[in-house]
Parts: sequence; C-alpha cells; structure tokens
Amino acid sequence: MILVGGILLLLALLGAPLFVIIAASAMWGYYRNDVDLSALPIEVFGIAEMPVLLAIPLFTFAGYLLSESNAPKRLVRLTGALMGWVPGGLAIVCLAACAFFTAFTGASGVTIIALGALLYPALKQAGYPENFNLGLVTSSGSLGLLFAPSLPLILYGVVAAVPIDDLFIAGVLPGLLMLVMLAGWCLWTNRAIRTPIDQFSWSEVREAVWETKWEIPLPIVVLGGIYSGYFAVSEAAAATALYVLLIDVLVLREVAPSRLPHIMRDSMVLVGGIFIILGMSLASTNYMIDAEVPDKLFRFVGSYVSSQATFLFLLIVFLLILGAILDIFSALVLVVPLILPVAQGYDVNPVHLGIIFLAAMQMGYLTPPVGLNLFIASYRFDKSITQIYLSTLPFLLILLLSVFVITYWPALSLVMLDR
Amino acid sequence: MLKTLEKIGRFLEDATLVVMLCVLIGLAATQIFLRNVMDTGFVWADELLRLLVLWLALMGAVAASRDDKHIRIDVLSRFLSRKWKLAATALLDLFTALICSVIAWHAAGFVMEAREYEDTLLGGLPAWPFQSILPIAFALIGYRYLIFFFRHIYAALTGVEQ
Repeated sequence: MILVGGILLLLALLGAPLFVIIAASAMWGYYRNDVDLSALPIEVFGIAEMPVLLAIPLFTFAGYLLSESNAPKRLVRLTGALMGWVPGGLAIVCLAACAFFTAFTGASGVTIIALGALLYPALKQAGYPENFNLGLVTSSGSLGLLFAPSLPLILYGVVAAVPIDDLFIAGVLPGLLMLVMLAGWCLWTNRAIRTPIDQFSWSEVREAVWETKWEIPLPIVVLGGIYSGYFAVSEAAAATALYVLLIDVLVLREVAPSRLPHIMRDSMVLVGGIFIILGMSLASTNYMIDAEVPDKLFRFVGSYVSSQATFLFLLIVFLLILGAILDIFSALVLVVPLILPVAQGYDVNPVHLGIIFLAAMQMGYLTPPVGLNLFIASYRFDKSITQIYLSTLPFLLILLLSVFVITYWPALSLVMLDR
Repeated sequence: MLKTLEKIGRFLEDATLVVMLCVLIGLAATQIFLRNVMDTGFVWADELLRLLVLWLALMGAVAASRDDKHIRIDVLSRFLSRKWKLAATALLDLFTALICSVIAWHAAGFVMEAREYEDTLLGGLPAWPFQSILPIAFALIGYRYLIFFFRHIYAALTGVEQ
C-alpha cells in the first residue's frame, strides 16, 4: 500500500501525466477491494452526465478566439480612456483590464500573452521600474478568477454540487477586494511617478467606446443574463461562443477563417487535458468515498483541531502548498471532494469554501516550482524565472493578506446571497 | 508508411475536433433560440450535447498527447542530467502506455457489454457506438506514448533526438 503510493508519488514528481497517476491509484484501490476495473471507464463516461460541463469548452473556445483578435488592444484603450487620468492610473488600467479579460477567458494563462505584451512596454514607457512592471503584469494574469464566468468557479460548482449562480454572486466582493488592495499598493509604491497617462477627454472615451462597440454587449448580455437568472450558465456560454465567432470572423474579420481550426484545436487540447483528469478523479473520488476517506480525514483532523478558526488557518496553509505543486483545475477536481465534507464539519459554508479555495489557489499561479504564470511571463518577456519570482513577491504578499481577509470574513462572500 | 499514416491520423483528429466543436456551438445556440423565442426545443438535444462534450473531451485528450501536453507536476526532472532525464521520460512513457491500454481494454469490455445488453441512448439509439470513444481514445493515447517510449529510448542510447 505505502510502497505503491510511494512509487506513484515518485512517478508524479518525475512528470508523469497527472491523469495516469490518478487512474493508476484508482485502479489499485479497485483491485484491492475486488471491484471490477471496468468501473473506471464507466466513471469516465459520467462526464456525459453533467450538464454544466457544457459551459467549459464553449467559454474556453470563446476566450482563445478573443485573445487572437484585437479585443485586448481595444480593452486596454477603453480602460485607459476611462481611468488613465487617475495619478498612477496605468497600473490600475493594467489590473482592471487583466481581471476582466481573465474572467472572460477562463484563467488559462492567455491573459499574460494577450494583454501583457501591450501593457508591459506601456508601463516601461511611463517610467515605472522594470521589476514592478514584471511583477504587476505577471500577477495580473490570474486576477479575475473570482469573477463570473471564470472556468475554475464553474468547475468548483460542478465538483462541489453548489449552484454556480451563487458562486458567481459570492465572488464579486472578494474579487473586488483583491483588486482594490493591489491597486492601493501600486499607487503607494509609485507615489513618486504620479503623472497620469493622459488627461480625461470625452472625445477619447467616445472614440474608444465606439471602437469597442461589438465587444461591449458581450459582458452586458453574459453577466446580465447570468446574474438576472435569465440565462443558465451553459446558455450564456453558447451565446458567447457563437457571438464571438460571428463578430471576430465575419464582422470585424480580425481572425482569418483559416486560423479557426488551430484555435479550435488548441482550446480543445486544454479542455481535454482538464476533463480527462476530471474523469479519472470521478473514479478515484468514488473509491475514496466508498473507503470513507473523508470521514477518516475529518476524524483525524478533528482530534487535533477543535475550532473553525484554526481549521481555516490550516486550510490556507494546505492550499498554498497545494497551489505550488498542482494547477488549479487538477487541484479542484482532486481535493475539493475530500475537504468539502471536512470543512462542512467545521460549519464552513460550501460557497465560502469555494471562494477561499480559488483565492488561495490563485496564488498558486505565482508560486514556484510550477506557478504557470511565472513560466509564461519568463518565456514571454525573456527574463529569468528568478527575476520574475522576485518581482512578483510583493504582489504575492498582498494577495496573501487578501486571502486571509476573505477567509476570516465570510460575510464578504455571503452577504449578497440572502442567507 | 508510418509517416503517411500519422499524417492521416493527425488530419482526422483535427477534423473531428473542429466538426464536433462547430456542431456543439450550433446545436447549443439553436437550443437557446428555440427555448427562449419559440418556447420549444429538441428533447434529444441536451443529451446529445452532453455526449458531444464527452467526445470533445476525450478527443482533446488524444490531441494533447500528440504534443505530450498533458497536465503534470514535474519538479524532479529538472535536477537530472540529460541522459537520466531521457531514461526517466522513457520509463514514464511506458507507464502511461501501460495504464492507458489497461483502461482501453476494460473500456472495450464495457462497450461490448452495453452492446450485448442492447443499452440505449437518445430515446432508442444503441448506446455502444457513442460509448466506443472510450476504448478508442485511451488506445490512441496509449499508442502515442508507446511511440514516445521508443523515441526516447533511441535518443537515450544514441544521443540523437528525432
């Protein structure tokens, strides 16, 4: 038992595909309990029994397509026109534009590629120090994870069986808190260079709005539709995918039709990578629930930890370590089924747990050794990974502080849910 | 011969993904239109959409294995020398191929059983053709990693990477 676990762990750390490790451990569990191994493919087939999953390929495709168009450029121009007059406004433009774009493209690292390339030179030109720019652009790439319709929020709703609409509402204030805290720090640390990028001008706002006229309906329809309850999440996703496809290929013609198969394939590679892990972890979770692992875990934790406050503290520490070694999607499907029952034992609201989970895992994008954004930024801006890491450190500390506030102030997440 | 086969395979794989995603978007959008504007809808559409998601997911996973793009942890391998790294990768390839073929084998059993018991989907259609993506996808992923295994062994022994 321990030997098999140890070998699998070693193979995982050497870089075996994660779904293979989960599959192997599930099969080992089945084998030891005399369950027929054909139970595993049957569990994977369970992917076809979760209606909400439909939203994920649709939003992923729409996000990939948006990042290939000129939408990022227009988004930066519009945010600049609206907020560029604030002293130190460019940093805030960066945070706001990235958060918005990440929420819409599902936190798969495309934000840094699509927006970072525009914002990084602009920040440099405005006289911000290089390390600040690197840190800002790299850490902005995962902001917005808590805003609808981000993929991790949807996936948490699927795995934890929590209404996704509730999660979308619960994420708003904690997400804003992160933004405000980071913006405050950016303003304070750059108080020497407070020159606004531009004076506020109505004509620039008008022009920028006019240029963005095709994209502006998108957030209104999607967010308005979801928050008002008119659209189900998967309907909003289908509308988004079709709309973005028509606008970018037929109306604006910014994406050549010959590029479409590549974009479709690339986005489906990401979806396949996430869903195959989801399928395998459906199998391993089932086995673990049969073996009463969550109960045992709760009893074990309960014998050492009595108060909710201590539990939450340990949870954050655990999630930070987890975020450093696992990407957010795998962590969601693997760990949530195990810690959800434990957290409920400590009276943690499942919706609040989801917000804590994602807020803490968001930092995982920025922590070595596998922080995705560190690698993307290092590759994109041609800087060493150590320099990127040091430059993101202050941002990481601010995010950590915000994670503590979000965790110990449940009302921030739950106040708008009437409960 | 193998190269042409691989080319055809790649084309089929990409074409399947593109066609299925287009159908998914089209059908999901039609369904919204019918539901909200005409106040009706296809009864079978929701189930078909869910099956399409499964197919897309598994075909996407096959496509991810083409470029070895599966999600992994990989913290130790950067401390290994080139030769040891190749050897470790070859070992992982073989392990992946093995696990995938075991899954494919049992998935094939699951499909045969569904065929034997005449399970149905979508209000009467036989279920097994829809389920057959399971053994096919895992067999393809396993096949890809078996090829990777031979390549990496070759590279570890000769020092030449193809």
